[in-house]
Amino acid sequence: MPGLFMRNLKPIIIVAVTAGIITWYMPWSMVAACAFFVSITHNLKPKDGFISGFLGVILCWLVIALWRDLPNEHILSDRMAGLLGLPNGWLFMLVTVIIGGVVGALAGWSGGMMNKAFRS
Amino acid sequence: MRKLIAILSLIVTAALVYVLDKPWGGVPALGRLLDPVNGCWASAEPVSKDFTANLNLTGVKDDISVSYDDRLVPHIAAKNDHDLYFAQGYVHASFRLWQMDLQTRAAAGRVSEVLGDKALDYDRKQRRKGMVYGAEQSLKMMEADPRSKQMLDAYTEGINTYIKELNYRAYPLEYKLAGFKPESWTNLKTALLLKYMADDLTGYTEDIALTVLRDMLNPEDFAALYPERLSGTNTVIPYDSIVQKASLKIPATPADTIAWAHLQADDFEKTEEGKGSNNWAVSGSRTKSGAPILCNDPHLGLSLPSLWYEVQLTAPGVNVYGASLPGAPGVIIGFNDNISWGFTNNYRDVKDFYKVKQVDNNSYWFNGVKTNYQNRVEVIKIKGKSDYNDTVKYTVQGPVMYDESFRGPGALKIPIAMCWMAHRPSNEVLSLYLLNRSNKYTDYTNAISYFLCPAQNMLYADKGGNIAIWGQGQFINKWKEQGRFVMNGADSSTLWGQKIPVAENPHSYNPAQGYLASANQTVTDSTYPYWYNGYFYEFRSWRINQVLRKTHHATVEDMFALQNDVYSVLAANVLPLMLAHLNVATINNKEREFLDLLGGWDYRLTAESKAATVFQVWWNNLYNSLWNGRFGKVPDALKPSPERTMQLLKEGSPYLGNIDNAVVYSLQNSIDSLMKLKKANRLEWYKAKNTTIKHLTKLPSFSYPELKIGGWGNVVNAAKADHGPSWRMVVQMTKDIEAYGVYPGGQSGNPGSKYYATFLDKWVKGEYYKLNFYTTDKKQTPTYAWTIHAKS
Repeated sequence: MPGLFMRNLKPIIIVAVTAGIITWYMPWSMVAACAFFVSITHNLKPKDGFISGFLGVILCWLVIALWRDLPNEHILSDRMAGLLGLPNGWLFMLVTVIIGGVVGALAGWSGGMMNKAFRS
Repeated sequence: MRKLIAILSLIVTAALVYVLDKPWGGVPALGRLLDPVNGCWASAEPVSKDFTANLNLTGVKDDISVSYDDRLVPHIAAKNDHDLYFAQGYVHASFRLWQMDLQTRAAAGRVSEVLGDKALDYDRKQRRKGMVYGAEQSLKMMEADPRSKQMLDAYTEGINTYIKELNYRAYPLEYKLAGFKPESWTNLKTALLLKYMADDLTGYTEDIALTVLRDMLNPEDFAALYPERLSGTNTVIPYDSIVQKASLKIPATPADTIAWAHLQADDFEKTEEGKGSNNWAVSGSRTKSGAPILCNDPHLGLSLPSLWYEVQLTAPGVNVYGASLPGAPGVIIGFNDNISWGFTNNYRDVKDFYKVKQVDNNSYWFNGVKTNYQNRVEVIKIKGKSDYNDTVKYTVQGPVMYDESFRGPGALKIPIAMCWMAHRPSNEVLSLYLLNRSNKYTDYTNAISYFLCPAQNMLYADKGGNIAIWGQGQFINKWKEQGRFVMNGADSSTLWGQKIPVAENPHSYNPAQGYLASANQTVTDSTYPYWYNGYFYEFRSWRINQVLRKTHHATVEDMFALQNDVYSVLAANVLPLMLAHLNVATINNKEREFLDLLGGWDYRLTAESKAATVFQVWWNNLYNSLWNGRFGKVPDALKPSPERTMQLLKEGSPYLGNIDNAVVYSLQNSIDSLMKLKKANRLEWYKAKNTTIKHLTKLPSFSYPELKIGGWGNVVNAAKADHGPSWRMVVQMTKDIEAYGVYPGGQSGNPGSKYYATFLDKWVKGEYYKLNFYTTDKKQTPTYAWTIHAKS
C-alpha cells in the first residue's frame, strides 16, 4: 500500500495541481479530465490511475476546502453539515473530498483502462 | 474485449460526472455544490475579511464613497442623486441579492419557475390577486415623475452592474442550493416589492368570512359580537386633535337587497393571526432632555436574511439614516438631520369583494347589461414542466380572484371579484424620495401625501420639538358598511366612489396629551366624518397609553424598556376573573400544581415565566371553549376578537353561555398540554412559544430556533413564533441626534458570513446599538471603505 502511494506521488501531485488551476477557470467536472489525462500521459495502470485520481483530487479539494474553511472559522461548513444531518463541518469536508476523490478515482482508473486497451 | 471494457469504464466515469452535475428531485447538483473552488465553499467568508475596495464602475457619474462601520452598515456619500441610488442598488445587491430576487419572484407569482410545481398554487394566487397588474399600474406613475424615475433607473442600474460582475463562484449560496441564477433587475421588480409589502399589510380576505357570519347570526347577536367600533379604545388620533371637516358628502346606502351578496360556507382554513407594529413619540414636555423621542418597531415576518438593511444615504440635499428594504431605493423608516419618522399598519379596510353574477365564461351581468370580462392570461413557467396558463378575468371592480378553478375561503366556488387599493397607481417611491429630504412638518406632510397604499400610521418628530401622526393612505368615501361584507357585483351602486382628499386624512399635531401612540388600534373616534371599517387590535395600544400617560422626564432607556415591555393587559383583566369562576373544591392535584404557578404572577410574559405558559394555554382553551360551540368551523381570526371577548367576560355577558363551565372545562383541557410541556422540560414561556428566526428557505441549519425572548402578539414586545419586532428604533431629537436601533439579523445575507445574524443576540436581550449617524461636523473613521470611480 505505501508502495502504491509512493510510486504514484508524482501523478498525484500533478492531478492535484492541474485540477486546482483548471477548475479556477472551468467547471468542477474538469477534475475528472485532469485525472484521466494524467493517467494517459503517465501511462498508468488502472490501479495506479485509480489511486492517483483518488488521492490527487482529494489533496486538491482538501487544501482548497481548508483554505476556505479555516479563516471562516467553520461558519459555512457547520451550516452545510447541518443540511446533510452531519454533526460538524469537518465531516462535511470529509464528504466533500470523498465525493471529489471518487470522481477522480474513476476517471484515473478509466484512463488506466484506456492505456491497457489501446497501448500495450 | 479489453477495448470494450475500457470504453465502458469511461462511460461509467462520464455517467458519475453527469449524475453529480445535475440536480435530482430536491437534491442539488452535488458535484457543483461541493466543489471547494466554485461551489458552496466559495461562500465561506473569512471572519477577518477586509471589505476595503477600489471599484471602477460603468454608469456612475462621479466619485462615490461607501464607508462601512464595524457592524457593516454602509454610509454612502455621493455627489448627486443618480450616483446615490446607483450605489444603494450596488450595495443592496452585494449583500442581499438572492433575497431580493426571491421576494420579487414571490410577489410576481414566479416561484414555480425556480422551485418547481409545488409553488404553483401560491403563484396562481399571486397572479389572481393582480400583483403584477398592480405593480404595472404603479410603475407607470413612478416613471412619469422625473425624480422617482431617476431614483428607480439608477437603483436598477446599480443592481445590474453588480449582477453583471458575477460568475457562478460568486453567486450567493442559495442559488447554488436551489439551482438557479440571478436575473437582471428591472424597475418593475421594485414596484413588485412595494406591492408585496402592500399585500402583506392590506391583503386580508376577512370580508368573506365575515359575510358568512353575518348571514349565520341574527342581527342583534352579530352587532354585539362584532361591534363596528369597540368601546374604550385609545384611538391613534387622540380626542383633543383638530376635527377634520368633510368636504365630500357621505353617499347614501343602497337598499340591502341591492348592496349585499349572501354566502354560505363552513370549510375555512386556519388563518394566520394579524401582523402588528408599534410607534410612539413623546414630546419634549415629557422627556428629560426636553427634546422629543420617537420610537418605532414594525412587527413583520421574521426571517433571515432580514427584511431590513441599515443604511445611511448622503448626497446634496439629503442625509438620511435608517432601515431600507433590499429591492427598493431610499430609507423606509429612519431619520435625517432634522426629522424622524416611523410607521405602523393602519388596518383600515382597502380591499373589498364582489360576488359576480356570471352570464357565461366570457361575460357577467352589470346593471342589467351583459358585460364582457377583460381577460389577462397569466403564463406561469414551471421548472421541469410545461407552462401553466391561467386566464384571470377582470370585471369592472377588479380581478376575479376566486372561482370554480381557484376556490375561495371556505371552499367557495362562486366567482368573487376583488377591488383593492393596491391595484391603483401610486408613487410610494416619490413619497420616500421626498420624505428622506424633509426638513420640517410641511415637507413631511407633502412627502407622505404620495403614500397611498399600504395605508400607515405615519409618526413624525422634529428637532423643533414638534410631534405629529397621520393615518395616511388613499381611502374611499364609503357609504355606511360599504365593503365590510361581500357586495353585489351586478349593480353600480356598490362600486367604490370618490377618493377622500388625502389632506382630510385623520391626523394630530402636538396634541395636549404630550405624546402620540399607534399600535394598529382603531384610528379615530366618532368625530371623524367618513365611514370606514378595519381589523384593529387594542391590547398593545392600551398598554402603551397606560405607560406613556404616566411618563414624565422620559429617557431613551425608558423607551427601550417600553419597546421590550411584556405586560399582558389581557392577562391582567381576565386571569382574576378566570380564577374567580373556579370552584376551589373541585380542583384536583394536577390542576392545583399549575394553578400554583400563577400565584403572585405579575402578568408579564417574560422568557422564563412558567406562569405565562399556564395562562396562555388556559386562555387559548377558554377562548375556544367560549366560541367553538357557535363558531366551530370559522377561522380563529374571525371569532369575536379577544378584546371583545375580554369585555364580554368582564360584563358576565349571556352571549358567552355558562362561563363557570367554560372556565372549568378549559382548565381541565389545558392540563394535558401543560403536562406534556412539563415532561419535555418546556414549561418556560420562551420554550413553549418557540420564537424561531428561519432562513427564507426554512433550512434548519440556516435558522435560529427557540430564542430566549418573552412577549407575544398582544404585548408591546410582540415576539411571536415567526413574527415580531423587525426593527426597533429609538431616536431622540436633540441637537446632535441620538439614535438607537437593532433588528433580528445581520447586514449580510450570506449564511457563510459572520455578519449573517450578528444583531440577533442583542435583539433577543432587548439591547440596542447606538447608530453612527455621519454628519458634516461629525465625521467618523470607517472600518472599511469602498471608493467607487467612474470607469473611463
